[in-house]
Amino acid sequence: MKTDFIRKPLSLPSEDWITDPLAFLGGPSVIPEDVRRTNFPIITKEDVIQMMVSIQQDGDEVVNEFKEAYRNYVGANYAIATASGTSSLHLALVGAGVEPGDEVIVPAFTFIATAQAVVAAKAIPIFVDIDPITYCLDPTKAEHAITNKTKAIMPVHVHGLPADLPALRSLVDKYSLRLVEDASHAHSASIHGQLAGSIGDSAGQSLMADKNFMVGGEGGIAFFKEKEDYERALGFLDSSGIDYRMSWIVAAFGLSQLDRLPYYDDIRARNAAYLTNALSETKLFSGPHVPEGYRHSYNMYRIKLSPERLGLDDLEDYRVKDAVQQLVNHEGVYAREWQNVPIPGHLPFKNRRGFGNGYPFTLSDRQDFGYELNQFPETLKMLRNSLTICRELRTPIEYERIQAYALAFKKIDENPHIIRQLVEQGNDLSIPYERDARLG
Amino acid sequence: MSETLTRPETETVVQKEQYFSLSFVLSRVLNSGVIMSIEKNDQELKRLEKSIAKLTKTKYVSLFNSYTGAIHGALWGQDIRYQSSTRLNHPSDQERKFLEWLGISLVAEPHVKQAYSSISLSGSNLRDVDRLVHETGGEAPVLIVDFTELGFGPVAAIATNDENIWKKAERLKIFGAFDLQTMWTQEESEPELQPTAQFNYRLSPLVAACVKLTLLRRNLSS
Repeated sequence: MKTDFIRKPLSLPSEDWITDPLAFLGGPSVIPEDVRRTNFPIITKEDVIQMMVSIQQDGDEVVNEFKEAYRNYVGANYAIATASGTSSLHLALVGAGVEPGDEVIVPAFTFIATAQAVVAAKAIPIFVDIDPITYCLDPTKAEHAITNKTKAIMPVHVHGLPADLPALRSLVDKYSLRLVEDASHAHSASIHGQLAGSIGDSAGQSLMADKNFMVGGEGGIAFFKEKEDYERALGFLDSSGIDYRMSWIVAAFGLSQLDRLPYYDDIRARNAAYLTNALSETKLFSGPHVPEGYRHSYNMYRIKLSPERLGLDDLEDYRVKDAVQQLVNHEGVYAREWQNVPIPGHLPFKNRRGFGNGYPFTLSDRQDFGYELNQFPETLKMLRNSLTICRELRTPIEYERIQAYALAFKKIDENPHIIRQLVEQGNDLSIPYERDARLG
Repeated sequence: MSETLTRPETETVVQKEQYFSLSFVLSRVLNSGVIMSIEKNDQELKRLEKSIAKLTKTKYVSLFNSYTGAIHGALWGQDIRYQSSTRLNHPSDQERKFLEWLGISLVAEPHVKQAYSSISLSGSNLRDVDRLVHETGGEAPVLIVDFTELGFGPVAAIATNDENIWKKAERLKIFGAFDLQTMWTQEESEPELQPTAQFNYRLSPLVAACVKLTLLRRNLSS
């Protein structure tokens, strides 16, 4: 039978593994090749039974049941279930009153859909650099980017850490703007107990395959605080004729998965805390910073490298990162780049053709959209000196697996001379943001 | 989990006779692990694309998560974009609204080529699909097949023999075929194919599996 069941367990880890020869040099991998696979989403009998129930029901009712269940979970006032995260962001923007030619401030570091949703709303994305600690939109720099054309600020809760919404709320109130959350990474993430998606004036959230909470493959949901904004989004759907509806099949899967979301969240948080603590015992690596009162959902886990703490600061940071990536991948931990070019450096924003003939960019008076990469030094720095664990930590992995991940990083940390050798051997590696832009 | 096990009084689109086969195929897809990533679930989408290519006797098929998405793909593939004009035979109210939103004008001049032809498949006309496809043959460079009325949610496809139309339509999609083929980079040597505005029109593999099964069993439907 074709199955995603993982049949082979990991061995119980031992601290002795740290002193083994590196797998890159022929030593034993911390996680052998035949036990590296992780699995998410976890499909249970409840998912199958829910599907059998939903198939007998009216499709619109299934979607509505899911939408209401998740809206309640998030604590939002109004919601529209959609076919994708991009469409949910589009509706969140339109609902918030964004109109053709308006400017919307977004972070330079995000998935491309954040900015494409702004274009879909026929508005102009204005990219702003990130905070070097949280990797989310920097509120101070956002304020500098406000013009008389600015309608909204759309922060992204990068990797699942909520952006500084209290500071951004002050900003939008001060300038009479709207706050739209891109909560696509941030299912169950919160600030002082209030869940991402319910804090801004509106929000969009992806529910696709790579998310902590996914419906059946592709989906999204838009949230609104005010009835007027919700009705404006519904009115847009009617006037544009666009069909953004979610399929009942994916909604059915969302219903059964939602029941187990808090359990998966707890395991992910437990594992992330374990790894962050273990990395704090190394010199080279550090885990994500989570401000007091914030709850990170760890859709991705970005690890910062500090080569200077291992005496490697004479080497190019991105080469150190590349060497570490090779070494840790050989140990069985698939840490990698997630994004290598700030979004304004991606083709759609270099070309600015939009819907055709440059629309909606032609609505702007700007000669300079501020899309040059040197405008985003903190994003560039982050892209040079960090690696990301994605799917491998998203799944509710076993305790022994998170222990093994930690041991793999500790093992690399014990071998700075090998990192140096690898870097000094050299190759034609270019700086991440000088390579072709990757979507993820 | 929903507390209601059956709701016999509710009007459903999916026929009772299909419950078992659809539940079975959905369970198989769930169990196979394909929904865990874009890369894996693309396999399921390709299977449906092949079925539609065979059905429509066309070389290239692109899937969309709605009829309007497919319209957008069909137009974009032919460079019918903002400030362009085109012609449709008997456009619906929804089509008029959607084209207006895209900034595309509708004209009535018969010398203007029809942008696309379309058929909508439902449980009641599924067995006539070969005839319906045949009747639209050659009317337009693109055939849109709308599967939404089958009852699995919004889903449609464009079918064409023009590779360029297909390529451009795929480029319109975030997570389109090119993004997978190029290891997620969007770099493109042909300037006219480079991505511009993009929408996530990607279809769920679960929906694709249901449509494919329904097409396979169309001659068995009552």
